[in-house]
Amino acid sequence: MLRSQPISWDSKMGDGNSGSNRTLSGNNNNSSNKPEWLQQYDLIGKIGEGTYGLVFLARIKSPTTNRGKSIAIKKFKQSKDGDGVSPTAIREIMLLREISHENVVKLVNVHINHADMSLYLAFDYAEHDLYEIIRHHRDKVNHSISQYTVKSLLWQLLNGLNYLHSNWIIHRDLKPSNILVMGEGEEQGVVKIADFGLARIYQAPLKPLSDNGVVVTIWYRAPELLLGAKHYTSAVDMWAVGCIFAELLTLKPLFQGAEVKAPPNPFQLDQLDKIFKVLGHPTPEKWPTLPNLPHWQQDLQHIQGHKYDNTGLNSVVHLSTKSPPYDLLSKMLEYDPRKRITAQQALEHEYFRIEPLPGRNALVGPSVEKVVNYPTRPVDTTTDFEGTTSLQPSQPVSSGNAVSGSMPGTHGGTMRSVPRQMAVGGMQRMQPQGMPAYNLTSQAGMGVGMNPSGIPMQRGVSAQTHQQQQQQLRRKDPAMGMAGYPPQQKSRRM
Amino acid sequence: MAANFWTSSHHKQLLDQEEVDVVHPLDKERGITLDDFKLIKMHMATYIWRLAQFVKVRQRVVATAVAYMRRVYTRKSMTEYDPRLVAPTCLYLASKAEESTVQARLLVFYLKKLYADEKHRYEIKDILEMEMKILEALNYYLVVFHPYRALSQLLQDAGLNDISMTQLTWGLVNDTYKMDLILVHAPHLIALACLYIASVLREKDTTAWFEELRVDMNVVKNISMEILDFYENQRMITDDRIIAALSKLKP
Repeated sequence: MLRSQPISWDSKMGDGNSGSNRTLSGNNNNSSNKPEWLQQYDLIGKIGEGTYGLVFLARIKSPTTNRGKSIAIKKFKQSKDGDGVSPTAIREIMLLREISHENVVKLVNVHINHADMSLYLAFDYAEHDLYEIIRHHRDKVNHSISQYTVKSLLWQLLNGLNYLHSNWIIHRDLKPSNILVMGEGEEQGVVKIADFGLARIYQAPLKPLSDNGVVVTIWYRAPELLLGAKHYTSAVDMWAVGCIFAELLTLKPLFQGAEVKAPPNPFQLDQLDKIFKVLGHPTPEKWPTLPNLPHWQQDLQHIQGHKYDNTGLNSVVHLSTKSPPYDLLSKMLEYDPRKRITAQQALEHEYFRIEPLPGRNALVGPSVEKVVNYPTRPVDTTTDFEGTTSLQPSQPVSSGNAVSGSMPGTHGGTMRSVPRQMAVGGMQRMQPQGMPAYNLTSQAGMGVGMNPSGIPMQRGVSAQTHQQQQQQLRRKDPAMGMAGYPPQQKSRRM
Repeated sequence: MAANFWTSSHHKQLLDQEEVDVVHPLDKERGITLDDFKLIKMHMATYIWRLAQFVKVRQRVVATAVAYMRRVYTRKSMTEYDPRLVAPTCLYLASKAEESTVQARLLVFYLKKLYADEKHRYEIKDILEMEMKILEALNYYLVVFHPYRALSQLLQDAGLNDISMTQLTWGLVNDTYKMDLILVHAPHLIALACLYIASVLREKDTTAWFEELRVDMNVVKNISMEILDFYENQRMITDDRIIAALSKLKP
């Protein structure tokens, strides 16, 4: 019969069980009891905990390749209802196994422990995330994030999102803690979009997209969702990006509504009210499909309960209404999802063409005056892979950076109930000047890797994408036939 | 890519027919022939479909489940991976992947209803254990593309989207899952082959339409021939042959 065996698809993870037992935590001394695949890692400790399970930090101990490389291992709890691998895990694996982009977290391995029916996803580890970066600036260093860093983070976030949307994937849960940033090393300062547990392929859903539960943390939730839209689009992610952009600028969440917890899928009036307070009320004139939304019909009195006269996004984010960043932000926070700017359009926005230009290392760049030493993630070194606590005292693990922000163990304020993950490996270089490659229609042909941005996808020849297929099959002229079609998300919205 | 066939793991994993038609050494030892192998997979495809009728999932979930089952047997033996457990588990896993989750206990309930004999006494625990083994056997590649989407677009484009043609071609596509076509050919080519057969059967002239397509008609015609051969051979398949083949696995 089967034994638990490590599978290793693209990184040379080595055979694991050889090499020194170079453990940093005290609970690996019983390594003979560990499944074989686990012996290729040294467990450092627990870095996160959520409803789905636990996240651990580990290092590869293979003597030959990637030795010492940090890996984040997400362990999915066995479901309590006796229904096997959680659909969330299935969905995350399914998507991550297909996608590959510099700005998307990289799944390096999946492991199954047949003995206790648990599932482990191994990701490249990312030391930082936007939640911690923002918090550090707000609470510790007392100055805003540099313009270069904000712009680079935003550009890379949009770049990753454009890749996802071009491939019909909506993330649905973008928030600062899901946007990872690589720490020291070759990929320092590279953004990685993480946590695909709620992501959906929206090309051909078998059910309305709203069917499988709550999406997107309420502060970053788009108004169409708050108003009860059943079918929604990639524009919900762009709203979240707008909120994150504003938060990077001001270090404060833009719309901090108080969440209504019950009943399931409750009407989040306070969140809407926070939005209206800044942006004013939406109107059917500006948003024609607004009257069709369930809560607009049912809760109009509540919605229009307050009148806000002196609304002004510009004063909240301290930007001139004529400035390029304000223009971009306001287009991300457009009420009508059909008019909201797309990731692809945003990448071409003037904001990214003016100084300082965005760069690959968002944390260190020519125009960054003071390089900020962000704290490393707090690690609870008292747990083993089972999540059981040993008697070891907790100790912050430092890789040379300041650990000022680290909390002991998992019970400090930094341990939010959200996945804290991981990141990646790819080596593609990004093009700092607004991604001209996306505008070219001549090179999207059949071959992977013909795209100068190194993004392995083709828009033109998808046999599965609606009109594109017909157009493609119909072309007799080979030169025309090879041309790529830009993604047509805008026209397909709603 | 998750939504682009050409960059998907599905496309990269397409196999040659010769690679699909390999009987695992362990199964050979038990006397399973290539014919037996194909017969059992066909039988299990039908079985998945029947089970799906009870638990009420959409055709795409069935199609994904059958594709999983066929992929598993390009790597694993039927001796070690009993088809009678693999088939329902593939449906279980596909229901999660296609966002139409079916509860394991419901599946087990109908399993027992469908087959009362001892060899199908599987419990929830068996399904859950096999689910993980199947995930492993599939190397965690779970996205499957199907001909249905392409089919409706093509029918419309050819102006053949009347009820009669739609039903006929849809039924043909369903039947292709009794074969290994989904492991070998791109889904839109399978759809075109079904459309081709249907247009010949219904005497629709699609010559000009097919000529305008940028596809290799030889491939489409070869797939069509395979499908027609399958229908021809299927007439000679009896329950006895299926039972005989299955009994070699569990004497």
